Amino acid sequence: MDDKLLITPAPHISSVKTVRGIMLDVVISLLPATLAGIIIFGIRSLQLVLASVIAAVAAEAIYQKVAKKPVTVNDMSAVVTGLLLALTLPPDAPIWIPIIGSAFAIIVAKQIFGGLGTNFVNPALAGRAFIVAAWPLHMTQDWLNPMTHDAITGATPLAVFNNTGTTSLGVKDLLLGLRAGSLGETCIIALLAGGIYLIARDVIDWRIPVGYLGTLALGTWIFGSPNGFFQGDWLSGILLGGAVLGSIFMATDYVTSPVTPTGRFYMGVGAGIITLLIRVWGGYPEGVTYAILFMNLVTPLIDKYVVPKYYGYMHDIQARKAAAGGGTK
Amino acid sequence: MITIKKVFGGVDVPGKKELSKDCPIEFAGIPGEVVLFLSQHTGAPSNPIVKPKDKVLRGQMIAEPQGTVSAALHAPTSGVIKAIEPRFHPVQARMADAIILQPDGEHVSDESVKPLASDLEDLTPEAIRTIARQMGLVGLGGAAFPTAVKLAPPENKPIDTYLLNGAECEPYLTADQRLMTEEAEKVIFGFRAFMKASGASRGIVCIEDNKPDSIEAMKRAIQPYSEIELAVLTSRYPRGGEKQLIQAVLGREVPPPPGLPLDVGVIVSNVGTAYAMAESILEGLPLIERIVTVTGEGVAKPSNFKALIGTPLSFLIDKAGGFNGTPRKVIMGGPMMGAALRDTNVPIVKGTSGILVFNVDQVVEEPILPCIRCGKCVDVCPMRIQPLWIAAYSERGLMEQAENARAMDCCECGACAFACPAKRPLVQWIKLAKAEITAMRRA
Amino acid sequence: MKESKSSLGFDFIKGFIQENPTFALAIGMCPTLAVTTSVVNGFWMGIAVLFVLTFANVFVSLLRNFIPDEIRIPIFVILIATPVVIVELVMKAYLPAIYEVLGIFVPLIVVNCIIIARAEAFAYRNPVMNSLMDGLGIGAAFTVNLMIVGGIREFLGTGQIVFGSAAFPSVPFFEPAAVMLTPPGGFITLGILMALFNVTIGAKGKTND
Repeated sequence: MDDKLLITPAPHISSVKTVRGIMLDVVISLLPATLAGIIIFGIRSLQLVLASVIAAVAAEAIYQKVAKKPVTVNDMSAVVTGLLLALTLPPDAPIWIPIIGSAFAIIVAKQIFGGLGTNFVNPALAGRAFIVAAWPLHMTQDWLNPMTHDAITGATPLAVFNNTGTTSLGVKDLLLGLRAGSLGETCIIALLAGGIYLIARDVIDWRIPVGYLGTLALGTWIFGSPNGFFQGDWLSGILLGGAVLGSIFMATDYVTSPVTPTGRFYMGVGAGIITLLIRVWGGYPEGVTYAILFMNLVTPLIDKYVVPKYYGYMHDIQARKAAAGGGTK
Repeated sequence: MITIKKVFGGVDVPGKKELSKDCPIEFAGIPGEVVLFLSQHTGAPSNPIVKPKDKVLRGQMIAEPQGTVSAALHAPTSGVIKAIEPRFHPVQARMADAIILQPDGEHVSDESVKPLASDLEDLTPEAIRTIARQMGLVGLGGAAFPTAVKLAPPENKPIDTYLLNGAECEPYLTADQRLMTEEAEKVIFGFRAFMKASGASRGIVCIEDNKPDSIEAMKRAIQPYSEIELAVLTSRYPRGGEKQLIQAVLGREVPPPPGLPLDVGVIVSNVGTAYAMAESILEGLPLIERIVTVTGEGVAKPSNFKALIGTPLSFLIDKAGGFNGTPRKVIMGGPMMGAALRDTNVPIVKGTSGILVFNVDQVVEEPILPCIRCGKCVDVCPMRIQPLWIAAYSERGLMEQAENARAMDCCECGACAFACPAKRPLVQWIKLAKAEITAMRRA
Repeated sequence: MKESKSSLGFDFIKGFIQENPTFALAIGMCPTLAVTTSVVNGFWMGIAVLFVLTFANVFVSLLRNFIPDEIRIPIFVILIATPVVIVELVMKAYLPAIYEVLGIFVPLIVVNCIIIARAEAFAYRNPVMNSLMDGLGIGAAFTVNLMIVGGIREFLGTGQIVFGSAAFPSVPFFEPAAVMLTPPGGFITLGILMALFNVTIGAKGKTND
């Protein structure tokens, strides 16, 4: 009997948190926004979501089979990638857009770099950036009117806002998501509900969304109006566009965000600044994707320089000061 | 009462103290064979002064300390020395020399076992230190550092505060809790002896708030002594770590290794050690027995035993009603820092605070996944280092980078590995790095 | 100086496998990424490099015993610059449209690391015939590589492949991905091809060593 005893290193107990459980939490937190998108933009949205998720999971399984690696689709990370990608799409995009986007996200952005944990940019955003570059017309024109589901021509509310500093939409419409925009970015209430769930479950760090949206709001207030400084409509600035979706669900991706709380705050602030730069002075109407992708690339640098002060560090500082003082006197 | 300062890191662990916290301490009895390792403390192994076939009595010294940092060893019961031979050491996980004692069952005490003093006024600090050395006292919290050495700080580092560690933040274990509840007076007597020997003018008893019975008992016991205060800590692992305790209670931080608490004028001792000190002075009894919690879901009747040092685990588990189902894992110590054992035919040592038996249901057998850089380990690390990087360096053999990432600061509390959602053995990798770095520095 | 003992056939074929300039040695990346937006561009760029490389290899090899070691690089550059000027003038005269597209990358062949690298690593220490075969092999492999990269990018980016007067008809339902004609598309294509090369042909080449 005794020889069946298991030998493992300490600790012998473990928290209930698992990678799969965390991914499941993210999926749960995205459900309200997905549902809101389907209600606002019609059943077409559901097709996009399903296509994206299925393509992501299939791409992961097929790649891992071909590369003769263990198939890890049951860690749910591919589902999260597919779902996030779908939520960033214009609701009238053709069905093959999310399929190619998901396949690119999983295979090129994630698996080629070693799979979960070793990708250097957020796969969903890399997939989105690819399809924006590949089929720009679909990604900038396939918008639908909320609730009526008819195609619209002309600029999105965000593009109008970036040019004029104002929007015709009321705060209530913005919170409920009754505006043209990407599938999952419009319904702020649903997104916030998901964000609060994730923060309550200790999955994400509040510092990233707060730092991001705070910086964006402050910057929009200062620079966001063509009439002069400090007159921008900061609330519409954060509610329009994908900043809420991006800051809560994408910038907080573990693999591509810093590991320290302070570092995460810097990441949020940095992404906010870049979003602002692109929106106010840049050529694109929306900068969330590139802002987060850029901060993904900066993450290793943040991790290198933003390190927590170790226990007892003040003694080393004192010793150094004493040595320096002794040298000069 | 002391206000508790901010401490960083830590994890909420399931306490599981209810299994054994209400079981009074019982004497476990005399086993068929007692195995006494010459090395069951930090420092040089002790030097045997008996030969096989010698008859020894309870409390008789059988091995003397070798050098300053070492401890004496005494016979826990009367009997005959059977052999001095290598046995498997459960903590060091290697073969180590041990004195094997065949008890005669009489349990006759040596004539040296008699009260030395009944009042601390009769003893000088030097006398207390001598008793600690003679009686083989070592820290009973786990590290087993010789107490006599601890009580003699260098003169240029005066001690102002002595902390009595009754936090017992390891889940499952209740040995210290029972001791404080049942023997509060003696614990405080031993504590006062420590304070006197070290010259500390202020004493603080530190207990986690999940032990109300101990807090009550200790409160009553410290009533007459104005120099002793009580600090009630919130329960969170690893509050009872020496450095974390100093931070929480005094707001001081110990310098990084090789810094010691005495560098900031503090000494920390475990309540079990204080009790052993009291026994040495009041009864003349050396450190030959200690309180051991035998618990876990895999034990039929979780108990707190007063067990002879050198008692085999199997004997204690039998005393606790035997296994409850098929054991999957037997751990010496607590679930966070204890060592898993390959069989129960090994003895307890001076530092053994508990024996934990898990069935299949309690054993985590999750696959190890790649690090997803969630930063949970950074959030919980009480030393505020970054376990994920150190472990990654260690895994790739980059020991210099691991050293620069402050691997040596790690206190091996296991909070990071507990919190890790990918179930990575972070502590294991960091321990490897520490061993390699130590070897590198020596070379 | 050590003279190569390898066969002429091996010196030709190794350019495609073990010493494939693009996928194994990863040299000559500038033209590979910049001009490969179509098969035709890739073909002419490859031919230009093939000519210059062969010419330079032969002359470096012929003169290898007379070139002082200390100033060999300036001499290589002169030996390389000569055929580059020839190629540039010929292209300007007879293929003005192609020359327009390749632009600065034709004169830049002078400092193309494929040619310098082959001169330094091979032609400078091998006989003339081996150097000739090496130049032809590496040049031909480079041309094929550029055509493959160009073909993939042209097809995905425009939906058809045009070569001379012949063009594959565009495929129905296929929407060209504009990104493939941009530098990111070049990097993605090159990266994936390099990975595929190294797990298939490259891996076999290594076991032969």
